Amino acid sequence: MQHIFNIDESRHAIERMAPVDYLGSSYYERWLDRNIRLLVEKGVITREELERRMAQLAGGTDPATPHSDPKLTARMLRVTKDRTPYRQPGPPPCFALGDRVLTRHDAPVGHTRLPRYARGKPGVIVRVHGTFIFPDTNAHGQGEQPHALYSVRFDAALLWGDSAEPRAPVHIDLWERYLLPDAPARSTS
Amino acid sequence: MDPLPSREIADMSGAAALPRKNGELVFNEAWQGRIFGMTVAMSHEACFAWREFQAHLIEEIAHAEREGESTSYYERWLQAFEQLLTDKGLIDTDTLAERTRDLQSGRRDDVF
Amino acid sequence: MSGGHDEHGHHHREPESVLSLRVRALESLLVEKKLVSSEAVDRIVSAYEQDIGPHNGAKVVARAWVDPAYRARLLADGTAAIEELGFGGVDLQVVENTPGVHNMVVCTLCSCYPHALIGLPPVWYKSFEYRSRAVREPRVVLREFGVDLPESTEIRIWDSSAELRYLVLPERPAGTERLNEADLAKLVTRDAMIGVAVVKPPAGASH
Repeated sequence: MQHIFNIDESRHAIERMAPVDYLGSSYYERWLDRNIRLLVEKGVITREELERRMAQLAGGTDPATPHSDPKLTARMLRVTKDRTPYRQPGPPPCFALGDRVLTRHDAPVGHTRLPRYARGKPGVIVRVHGTFIFPDTNAHGQGEQPHALYSVRFDAALLWGDSAEPRAPVHIDLWERYLLPDAPARSTS
Repeated sequence: MDPLPSREIADMSGAAALPRKNGELVFNEAWQGRIFGMTVAMSHEACFAWREFQAHLIEEIAHAEREGESTSYYERWLQAFEQLLTDKGLIDTDTLAERTRDLQSGRRDDVF
Repeated sequence: MSGGHDEHGHHHREPESVLSLRVRALESLLVEKKLVSSEAVDRIVSAYEQDIGPHNGAKVVARAWVDPAYRARLLADGTAAIEELGFGGVDLQVVENTPGVHNMVVCTLCSCYPHALIGLPPVWYKSFEYRSRAVREPRVVLREFGVDLPESTEIRIWDSSAELRYLVLPERPAGTERLNEADLAKLVTRDAMIGVAVVKPPAGASH
């Protein structure tokens, strides 16, 4: 059973909702809007078909005939329990434990998983997680481009300034392409 | 794309919200789990849409609140489920009452 | 139609055993009419009880408390360690609380959550308030949850910005030396595994 869309496209679809709609929606209304938007974009349904069916259901008629299909159910169960493997082979990491890094400060055009509050900030690599599919490209059909993902630690004062709480560092999982070296790379001996 | 169990069922909100403790479903008595499971199973079999049952549940809860009944969540669920089945002609109350009496008297001994 | 009318027509709350009979009667009828199967009911009850609660995470925590070697494996590779206990479907990073360190998990970008281990996220976890304040003022947020930590304790906030999910390994409370693994698991709450609570000792435990 093909995956009609991937999780990065899903998230990006939510992000493209008009801000007014996003703030007013409950979590699951956003989920529903996301699914409708993506199904329409993928050509699985048209908005006209959806509206026609909704009108029919509201009028009390359900054109779908109830049926159970154990084979289909079993297939669907397998699909939903399979985890899409986000870990994929990629190039070796450029950064190592303890390296100081600086996050990019340029605002991305499309989908990204670099939180705004952490743009252009200095941090330290505290873990090298391995290589993972890159959502920034995956969400736009530009391919998975897996590469190194790190846990990066940021001092609260460097994120928030004087009003930061003491000893409250924030750790964020960030892809290598979000990062630049902040200090000369350690020499390997 | 939606993993089991169904979010539509698990995330009912407001008065119809499934009772939970520490995020877990609470079935204080075995019959509560059974009636929950039966309702979900029948909705899976498309005997009715979940939304239909949910509407009955909400109505039953509202009715019970108005009447000041001290019934529990799953008692109201049971009422709503029976009402839905009766409305759809899937069971009739006389047969159900008779079956209940048979179990009570020991004439039948179905165990689930 | 409402239940509970006895022969005198009074409406009263039915005793539990009558309800149990009624439900059994329903199941009996519905099975007879082939509208449900009892096996399906069993599977559904199990799935909802087990798959959407924090039992799984609590088992992992309890195992880590009693088995130091497991604890080490869990901290080194959470994904593999939980598979030892039969749990999977998540790329997991476990972070341990110690006397000097308290961990807290959030997803500022959406509301990523280790569903497979701790079930459904609570409404507050998905709220804009938690998602923005947990990174900005964790100590204040924790106090609002009833957790008052000394200023000397480091609070590590983990923002689940990628596909890794985070689980907090809470400190084992004092006075639980005699408890077995199953009893320990019962103490572990969902909120403690998110990092907005600590695990309390059982009532009556000596400190």
